[in-house]
Amino acid sequence: MRASQEAGAGGGASGTGSGRTRLASAIADAEILVATGAGGVGKTTMAAALALAAARMGRTALVITIDPARRLAQALGLEELASSPQRVLDDDSGGTLDAMMLDMQSTFDELIDRHAATPDNAAEIKANRIYRTLSSSLSGTQEYMAMEKLHELHGLGRWDLIVVDTPPTRNALDFLDAPARMTSFLEGNLLKLLLRPAAAAGRGYLRIVGFGASAFMKVAGRVTGMELLDDLGAFFANFDGMYEGFKQRADEVLRLLRQPSARFVVVATPEPPALREARFFVERLQQEGLHLAAIVVNRVQPAVGTADAAALRTAAEALGEDRNDRAVAAGLALLAHLRDTSSRHHHDIAARLRGPAAAHIVTVPRQARDVHDLDDLVRVGQYLTGTATSADLPATAGSRS
Amino acid sequence: MTAQVPVDAEQGAEGVAAFDAVFPANVVVVTGKGGVGKTTVAGTLGLAAAAAGRATLLVEVEGRHSLSRALATPPWDYEEREFRPGLWGTSLDPTQSVLEYLELFYGLKRLQWALERSNALDFVTAAAPGLRDLLLIGKVYEIEARRTADGRRRYDTIIVDAPPTGRIVPFLQAPAGVTEIVRVGPIRRQAAQITDMLTDPRRTQVVMVSLLEEMPVTETVEGARALDAAGLRVGPIIANDAEPEVMSQADANLLARVGRQRLADVAATVGITWQEDDVDALRRVGHDHRERLDQEAEMARRLDSIDHVPLLTLHHHDVGPRELLPAVLADELIAEAVRVVAST
Repeated sequence: MRASQEAGAGGGASGTGSGRTRLASAIADAEILVATGAGGVGKTTMAAALALAAARMGRTALVITIDPARRLAQALGLEELASSPQRVLDDDSGGTLDAMMLDMQSTFDELIDRHAATPDNAAEIKANRIYRTLSSSLSGTQEYMAMEKLHELHGLGRWDLIVVDTPPTRNALDFLDAPARMTSFLEGNLLKLLLRPAAAAGRGYLRIVGFGASAFMKVAGRVTGMELLDDLGAFFANFDGMYEGFKQRADEVLRLLRQPSARFVVVATPEPPALREARFFVERLQQEGLHLAAIVVNRVQPAVGTADAAALRTAAEALGEDRNDRAVAAGLALLAHLRDTSSRHHHDIAARLRGPAAAHIVTVPRQARDVHDLDDLVRVGQYLTGTATSADLPATAGSRS
Repeated sequence: MTAQVPVDAEQGAEGVAAFDAVFPANVVVVTGKGGVGKTTVAGTLGLAAAAAGRATLLVEVEGRHSLSRALATPPWDYEEREFRPGLWGTSLDPTQSVLEYLELFYGLKRLQWALERSNALDFVTAAAPGLRDLLLIGKVYEIEARRTADGRRRYDTIIVDAPPTGRIVPFLQAPAGVTEIVRVGPIRRQAAQITDMLTDPRRTQVVMVSLLEEMPVTETVEGARALDAAGLRVGPIIANDAEPEVMSQADANLLARVGRQRLADVAATVGITWQEDDVDALRRVGHDHRERLDQEAEMARRLDSIDHVPLLTLHHHDVGPRELLPAVLADELIAEAVRVVAST
């Protein structure tokens, strides 16, 4: 219940200072920030707000987003986000903010170009049907490409800070597993065993790979007309030799993310499933030797006023039938509801994020409307780092005076 | 079929008729952007369908067990199990579907062991274009085609907790995609039959779940257009987690004008002491509530402007640890169906 008291009358800005301090220092000195969390929790907004905060401190910042809401692009002053960095802000402090959207297909294509043995090889892979599906639908590909892009842009040395928004996965952990899954998939020892004969010398050599594989190939050939298998074979034949490059690259990405200058911002909402996922993620970061900057819990109902919910309800019931009284009674009931929601949120946060994680929590109050412009984003950033209170946020339910 | 959550007697026949009118298809595919409560709504639909007297199967395709969790039942597996009267659950797995398929068509018991040991299927289902999706939908097709001894459909309604909006079109078009790649043989023929099921409005409808917020609404409107273009029956759209209206605009205006002294007097008469903060909060709370409602109303208008697609609204409910949110929402869903049917 500590969080609930901390967030008391002040509307939520007090008490969780250490999470805010960590975020403020991350904005000031980190080179990479990765925003992660379940879908729909507000990752993209947080990523943009953090990058903007850094730019306003005089740093050169880039935010890489994935599938942003059009309104966020507009909030950044852009009609639409492009797949290469675009300038959003030249701040008086000398800082700059660039923004871009991750284009999965072109990132993957570039990766193929870089690692393929010959340009012909690359062209053949890119035209392969299996590759086209793989590059868009294999689970984890998007995550892997986000990390790949981060590695590439970090290597350019053009930005002091790069903030990456991770894809809205069904499971936030997916993206930590993506590089390993991707490389083990491409390594595909078994698949090579299954497919190489088909690729190297047509179907005649299937005999040599043992009963399981050959029977499988026969059946698969019978039901698909063999073309699918030819595609698969061609895909792996072209991929031969590229595996090492991919693996090396994945290792480099992981090494980059393990540096102390790379930090994670785990975003959640005060609902138990999102909090549970945040907790898993924080534990996983520790196991992987990665660094946590903060756990941002978004859309938390701040405590409104000081009277408790039961007293407010009693007061509401005691009021008369006069129109004014009825309006006041409805107001009291609303207030009681908000207080209940607030205690539930703070209780769930405290219950799910106990232990060392608690010191990293930053709560962001629920707001009546979406972020509309750069000023809104500035305020979110100030709030995240403790330089503003919830009272400064746009149209925050129950915290504005 | 007896149902655990019988339709309110008052609503009874009218509720059942309205539910049948709004959800007439054999297969109800539920999609929505991540975080909108798609799975909760799928569970709600399951309870409501069972309450309307239908033998109902709930289907998970993403292997997360979130649907069984939403309904507070132990995790499901490939086998269909009746976990409440009239309500079955299953969690589909593409690898199991392949094995079942191979056994059915080729009697390949012997092959099974080798395939299971080799992980080959995991690879093929992951790599081949749309194959994973095809296998999942193929299984749904098989279930839909199943008949009991007296020739009736095994399940009246099959509710699929489908992939999110961003992936729903490729998911449902997987059979059509496979017919492009596989040019001969039984797979091609079956893929065409599955496509027939998906594009028949009496057999398949796609329910889209949204919040009344900008991003999910935009995605829903775009998704509805794409699904429509792909020949699928879209609707209804379900707006989830809407703010319950507890104060009219007129009352909110009154509240904002009530004097400080009057508020302090009210507090004193009922024996609570409150601070300056409370008075501020009270004067503001009605305004914030109306602002939220107005914004939601604007979003609802955007959702409601999609031709021939009804909009049902489910509100936010605070449920205790012993209550089941889908059970609370099931009653509201049926009431909404009654309202929509009455208004057309």
